[in-house]
Amino acid sequence: MIFRIALGAALAVALVFLTLPVVAIFVDSTPGELIDSLGEPGALDALWLSLRTTATALAIILVVGTPAAYLLATRSFRGKAAVVTLVELPLVLPPAVAGVALLAALGPHGIVGDELDSAGVELTFQTAGVVVALTFVASPFYIRQAVAGFASVDRTLLDASRTLGSSEARGFLRVVIPSAMPSLVAGAALAFGRALGEFGATLMFAGSLQGVTQTAPLAIYERFNVEFEDALALSAVLVAVSAAILLSVKLVQGSEALGGAPR
Amino acid sequence: MAALAGVLVLAAAGCGGDEAEGGGEPRLVVSAASSMTEALTECARDYAAADVRLQLAGSDELAAQIRQGVKPDVYAAANTRLPDELHDEGLLSRPVEFATNTFVLATPAGSEIDAVEDLRREGVAIAIGSESVPIGAYTRETLALLPRAQEEAILANVRSNEPDVKGIVGKLSQGAADAGFVYVTDVNAAGEELEAIELPAELEPEVTYGAGVVEGARDPGAARAFVEGLVDGPCADALEAAGFGPPPR
Amino acid sequence: MLRAEIRTRLGAVGLDLTFEVGPGECLALAGPSGAGKTSVLRVAAGLVRPRWGRVEANGDTWLDTERGIDVPPERRRCGYVFQEYALFPHLSAWQNVAYPLRGMRRAERRRRALELLERFGMRELADARPRTLSGGERQRVALARVLARRPAALLLDEPLSALDARTRAEASRELAAVLREVRVPALLVTHDFAEAAQLGDRVGVIDAGRVVQEGTPSELAAEPRSAFVADFTGAVVLTGTARPGREDLTEVELDGGGAVASTDPGSGPVAVSVYPWEIAIEPAGEPAHGSTRNRLPAEVLSVTTVGNRVRVSLAGAQPIVAEITLDSAERLGLRPGVRVLATWKATATRVVGN
Repeated sequence: MIFRIALGAALAVALVFLTLPVVAIFVDSTPGELIDSLGEPGALDALWLSLRTTATALAIILVVGTPAAYLLATRSFRGKAAVVTLVELPLVLPPAVAGVALLAALGPHGIVGDELDSAGVELTFQTAGVVVALTFVASPFYIRQAVAGFASVDRTLLDASRTLGSSEARGFLRVVIPSAMPSLVAGAALAFGRALGEFGATLMFAGSLQGVTQTAPLAIYERFNVEFEDALALSAVLVAVSAAILLSVKLVQGSEALGGAPR
Repeated sequence: MAALAGVLVLAAAGCGGDEAEGGGEPRLVVSAASSMTEALTECARDYAAADVRLQLAGSDELAAQIRQGVKPDVYAAANTRLPDELHDEGLLSRPVEFATNTFVLATPAGSEIDAVEDLRREGVAIAIGSESVPIGAYTRETLALLPRAQEEAILANVRSNEPDVKGIVGKLSQGAADAGFVYVTDVNAAGEELEAIELPAELEPEVTYGAGVVEGARDPGAARAFVEGLVDGPCADALEAAGFGPPPR
Repeated sequence: MLRAEIRTRLGAVGLDLTFEVGPGECLALAGPSGAGKTSVLRVAAGLVRPRWGRVEANGDTWLDTERGIDVPPERRRCGYVFQEYALFPHLSAWQNVAYPLRGMRRAERRRRALELLERFGMRELADARPRTLSGGERQRVALARVLARRPAALLLDEPLSALDARTRAEASRELAAVLREVRVPALLVTHDFAEAAQLGDRVGVIDAGRVVQEGTPSELAAEPRSAFVADFTGAVVLTGTARPGREDLTEVELDGGGAVASTDPGSGPVAVSVYPWEIAIEPAGEPAHGSTRNRLPAEVLSVTTVGNRVRVSLAGAQPIVAEITLDSAERLGLRPGVRVLATWKATATRVVGN
C-alpha cells in the first residue's frame, strides 16, 4: 500500500515539475498580447528560420541516417561497437562542446577548414551552418531509435520478400521500413524536437543574425534580455508547435496500433 | 523509507549552507559583464572578505534576470544606463562608476584591415554585439556617427549579433569573422590572437562601467564592500592590470 | 521437376543429399531438429549458398556452384511458405497476396488477389491485418501469396507445426488438396513424421544431413531400415475411409479390407495411425476379451528383437507393426507365417486425415 502511494507521489511530483514551467508561459499574458508580440519583426523570421533549418536537418538525417541505421542493425563487422559509440556521441555532448567541436572540425581554422574554403563552402554565419549544427546534435536521436526498430524486424520477412520476387533494395523499402515505422517516426520526432530547440552549438558555430542564423531559441534568448513579454510570446509559439508535432506523432502511432484488435 | 528521507535531508543541507564552511565567511554572488571575465576571476578567487561566486554574461541578460526576481548580491555592468535603470526601478542601490574601458575595432592578428573605412569593403564579415548588450549599443552609437553611406555599408557586412562580447571574441579567434567591435581589455585577454585598432577620438564613445548592491541582497554590508573594492582595492588593481581605465572623476 | 544435389557444411552439420521431385509430387524431408532440413529449403530458395550444389527447376538452372551460377532468390520462381508464414504485418491479407504481383495496375492486382483468397475461402477477410487472423487463416493467406506468383516449385517449412491440433487436421486436408491441384514439385520439411506421412507422396528421413531412407510413408513405417528410422517414424499408418459409427466412434473401412474404430472424429478418405507398442497380438480364433476394440487378422512376416522388446512385422490388408514384450512373443510362439490377430484400443487409434 505504501509502495503504491510512493509511486503515485513520485508521478505527481514529476508531473507538476514538468508542466508548471510550460503552463507558466501561457498564464502570464493574454492571447492578444502574445499574438501582438509575434507581429514584431524578427519573431516570425526566427520561427520560419527555425522550421526551415530543422526540416532540412531532419531531411538529411532521414536520408543518410536510415540506411546507416539499417546497416548497424543488421550486420556485424569488426569494430561495430566502436562505430555505434561514435555515432551516439553527440547525444552526450553538451551543446557548447558540440559547438566547439564543430568549429574545430569545420570552422575556418578547423581540420577541414581549408578544404571547405577551396570548395567554396561557407558554413559559419550561414544558414547552412545552422543546418550542420542541428544535424550534428540531432542525428543520434534518430539513429538510435532507427537501429532499435530495424533490429526488431523479423528477418524472415525480408527473406519472404525476396522469395516473392523483390530484390533486397525493394524489400527494404516495401517491407523493412514499414515494419520499423513506429520506431522511425518516434526517432524522427525526437530528432526534430532536439533540433528545434538547439541553441548553444548554433550560436557558437553559425552566429546569430536575424533571418539568416537567428533561430527561435536564439531570438527568445535575445528578447529575454530586452522585453520578457516578447520572450514569452515566442516561447509559447515554440511550445505550441512542439506539442502539435508530438501529438500528431502519437496519433499516427496510436492508429497503427489500433488497426484491428487481435483475436 | 527513512533512509531515503535521510538522504534527501542531507542533500538539501548540502545545497543550502556553505556558511558552515570557511568559518562563517559571507557568500557573495556577483553578476558581472563578461568583458570583466579575466580580470575578476582571479581577484574573486583571492577575495579575502567573502566567498565570491561570479556570474558572467551580457550586462543586459544579467539585468533581465534581476528584473525577473533573481537576486545576486552585486551587479556590475559595462555601462551606466542599465544600473541607472535598475536603480530607478528600485532594484539596485545608487550605482557607483568604477572603471572605464576603451572601445576598439579588433581583427585577427595579421589582418589587412587597418581602419574603420576598410569595413565597408565587400565580403568583410563583421561580428558585433546585439542591440541590447552594452558592446552592441556602443557599436551602433559609434557607427551612427559615420556618414550614412558608410554606416549602412558597414552594417550590411554584419554577419552576427552576439549576445555578449566573448562571443565576438570567439568568432574572431576562430577566423569566422574578419573584424569585430570589442573592448581593448578583450584584445588584451586574447593575447597574441587579436589586434586592436584604436578609433579616432571623435568616434570613441564614453565607456563607463557601473555597479551597485542588489536590493534584497543577503549581506548588503559585504556587497557594498565589494563594490567599493572595485573602485579601490585588489579587484580595482586587477581591472587596471587588464587594461581598464580608472573611473571618471 | 525439381532436382537438387547439395554438399556443404552449416555450422556443425554437414549436408550431403540428392533428391528429385516430380511435377505434382510432394517429397517430405523429415528429421529431428538440427538435422539441416530448413537449410535444404534455404539452399533451394537461394537464401543461402552451399559450398557445393546444383539446383534445377523446370529445366532452369538455379544454382550450379561449379559453373558459378547462383540465381538470386528474387529471380527464382519458387514459392516458399515459412514456418510462421512471414506475412507482412503492415499489409492487409489481399495486399500480402498481391505483393508478388508486378507490372499491373492496382485494380488488377486486387482482383487477382481476391480471386486467390476466394479459392481459399478467405475473401471476407481480404482487408484484415495478419495480426487479427487465426493461425489457420494466416496459413491460407501465406499459401495464396506464394501461388500468386505461379511458382515453378513449392518449398514448405513445417507447414502445420504453427497450428493448434484442432486446426491441423483440416489445414492438412486443404494443403494436400492444394498440392494436388497445383501440380508443381513440392518440397516439404518437418520434424513430425505424421505430418510428412499426411502430406508427402514420398518421405525422406534425414539424419545428420543425410537421407537415410526414402519411400512411401507406409513403407517407412512398416520396414524401417535402421533403428533410427524405426524410432523416428514410430507409427503404423493405415489408410481407409471413415464414417461416423455407433457409440460416438468413427468406423474406418480400411483399404484392402478390414475395419477399425477410433475415438477421433473423421469422415471421408483418412489415414489412421497407431503406435506399435499399443498393438497387442492374440492367437487367431481367440474370442474377444478385454476392452480392446480393433482386431485385424494378419500373418507374421518377421520377428525382430530390439532391446528387450520384440518388433513383429505383420501382413494384413495393409502392413502392421506391433511391438510386444519378449515374454508375450515367446508365449505366442511367433514365427514367420503364423496367423494371428492384431488388436488395439479404439482410443489408441488416431485419425490423421489424408
